[in-house]
Amino acid sequence: MAANYWASTQRRHWLFTRERLAEIRESFKEKDKAAHSQFPLPDQRLLNIYFNQQLIKLGKRMATRQQALATAQVYIKRYYTKNEIRNTNPYLVLTTAFYLACKMEECPQHIRFVVGEARGLWPEFIAPDVSKVGECEFSLISEMQAQMIVHHPYRTLSELQPELSLTSDEIALAWSVINDHYLTDLSLLYPPHVIAVMAVIVAVVFKPSSQTGFHGSAAPIAGAMRDGGMNILAALGDKGGAGPPPRIQKLIAWLAESEVDIKAVIESTQELVSLYEVWEQYSEKNCKELLGRLVKSKSLDK
Amino acid sequence: MAVSPLAPQSFQSRASEEVADREITEQMNDEVRHKYIKAKKLGEGTYAVVYLGHIRTDPTSFVAIKKIKVNTEYRDGLSMDAIREVKYLQELSHPNVIALHDVFSSKDQNLNLVLEYLPRGDLEMLIKDSDIHYGAADVKAWMGMLTRGIWFCHENFVLHRDIKPNNLLIASDGEVKLADFGLARSFADPYSNMTHQVITRWYRPPELLYGARQYSGAVDIWSVGMVFAELLLRVPFVAGNSDLDQITKICEAFGTPTEENWPGVSKLPNFIPADNNHTVPTQGREFFLRQFPTAGSVGADLLMSMCSLDPRKRSTAYQALQHSWWTAEPRPTNKEYLPRKSGGTRKMGDDLTRRGGELDDQFKNAARQLDFGSMKG
Repeated sequence: MAANYWASTQRRHWLFTRERLAEIRESFKEKDKAAHSQFPLPDQRLLNIYFNQQLIKLGKRMATRQQALATAQVYIKRYYTKNEIRNTNPYLVLTTAFYLACKMEECPQHIRFVVGEARGLWPEFIAPDVSKVGECEFSLISEMQAQMIVHHPYRTLSELQPELSLTSDEIALAWSVINDHYLTDLSLLYPPHVIAVMAVIVAVVFKPSSQTGFHGSAAPIAGAMRDGGMNILAALGDKGGAGPPPRIQKLIAWLAESEVDIKAVIESTQELVSLYEVWEQYSEKNCKELLGRLVKSKSLDK
Repeated sequence: MAVSPLAPQSFQSRASEEVADREITEQMNDEVRHKYIKAKKLGEGTYAVVYLGHIRTDPTSFVAIKKIKVNTEYRDGLSMDAIREVKYLQELSHPNVIALHDVFSSKDQNLNLVLEYLPRGDLEMLIKDSDIHYGAADVKAWMGMLTRGIWFCHENFVLHRDIKPNNLLIASDGEVKLADFGLARSFADPYSNMTHQVITRWYRPPELLYGARQYSGAVDIWSVGMVFAELLLRVPFVAGNSDLDQITKICEAFGTPTEENWPGVSKLPNFIPADNNHTVPTQGREFFLRQFPTAGSVGADLLMSMCSLDPRKRSTAYQALQHSWWTAEPRPTNKEYLPRKSGGTRKMGDDLTRRGGELDDQFKNAARQLDFGSMKG
């Protein structure tokens, strides 16, 4: 973290309303209907899952910090609010976002090494010439108007740990919820502290039913969260009600006293629930094929 | 503007649609670019060219435009210096930090930073110019602005890591501005390492000379103390000609670091145990008062608190700002009445093109290639 979130470019320039985001995407579609029907792509969240998995592979052999992967994912999202994905080579954007994010998060990697790794993973989409990534970096920085500091929810989470006496299991779970929120639009919609609070609620309220972990078997968790979410909603509406257990009551009392936007927290919880629901349809093969066809047919890798 | 990840289109119709797609962001960039006019070149370094410019609609409102050379033909991507500078200046806004007004990309795919125009040179020029006379009230004014600037950086979790007189530029109204964020970084997470190869040698604190990889805002405070001393003496206070010489000179001046006055110092990677026959006791207030009589006893006390060998005992920027020296007599000079020097424009060109961590003129062989020829005339 650097600088102050409240005065940050993130808050001033990179927070969108849902409507605005939908409008931007609709305008891309309007501009090139032919490409949209010729090159269908999976749900944005499924693509994000694919991008995230590719980023993890890319960072595997480098000493990359989780935060750099998170920053890279935010860069990709920001970039695609300015550019239609169908006019880009997503593999190049991914590699470049990773390369730039590593520099930003103080774990820089040499461009040759990054390009080498990327070529190892996607030889048909990444040219051996490192200047492609150099050029794309310039474009990425330009499109982001050189506003590159990203505030993440991780630090808020560590600050909340003593405050809410969270156990290490809860922290671990909340941490993975934060990792998952990058698969949605949430980082473009809400400030990081809202996401951190949402992650804490999810971790504390749904912990018992989530022993299996979130990834993979998402549907039962989504169901549990939907039901649990109702409880939270009910509890918030009826402060001090006899409903939930004391641990959760305490959390709700803290939340009610804090000045955190509760509506935003609930909305982001719902966003996460629907992510876990849509996750069921994820197919790496499908994403790979559709992206491959797009890049190859339009010669976007040249 | 050629934007890279967009592929050349094979069909004419596609190409025109792409143009439409590009319009919004390109227009925004063009708007910014057209807002300014680049006038003349002020200086050129290995990593940037600085131009004097002005707002198109108002020829009297000057700006400095720093064109970052994106490594020729993108061999290695954008340098860390450039990344850091843009990263922090985009977020930090304070009267004592150079302002970044705008960023735009030019047709030749260069990144242009539109910076506040600071025409009155830097503190180093004033210190070195024997024709300029200044006193304790002036030093207090400059130090106040410097300390507020660094306090603001630290408050925002940013370490500057290259505080020295020629990175302290002066605005037309006399305000001192912290510039050159090419070595800046955010505070590291606890227990994670940072490089110790930062801060120009004469301003580098003992913990970095000993190779500490975990450090705090105290590194900048040491540099602030060294600038303070230099303002008072008008020569650098501890000017070593190698890292080893620097640590020797620091020990001679301030005392030999030991486990007693600095617990843990002997565990630092490059710590050199003191020669038992030649140890200097830690200097007290009398030493500072004797060395820096112009500061007065209260000023000497502040300086001493910034020059503590043990970084944990050094005062923080916040503590420094609460020191009674600021409110003691003499009052700091009003910034409009501070001694000034002309010819700072060209100096700004130099200052903004230097790479981080370099000494200016003192070392003839410094790896710095400025094209002075282009600035004449």
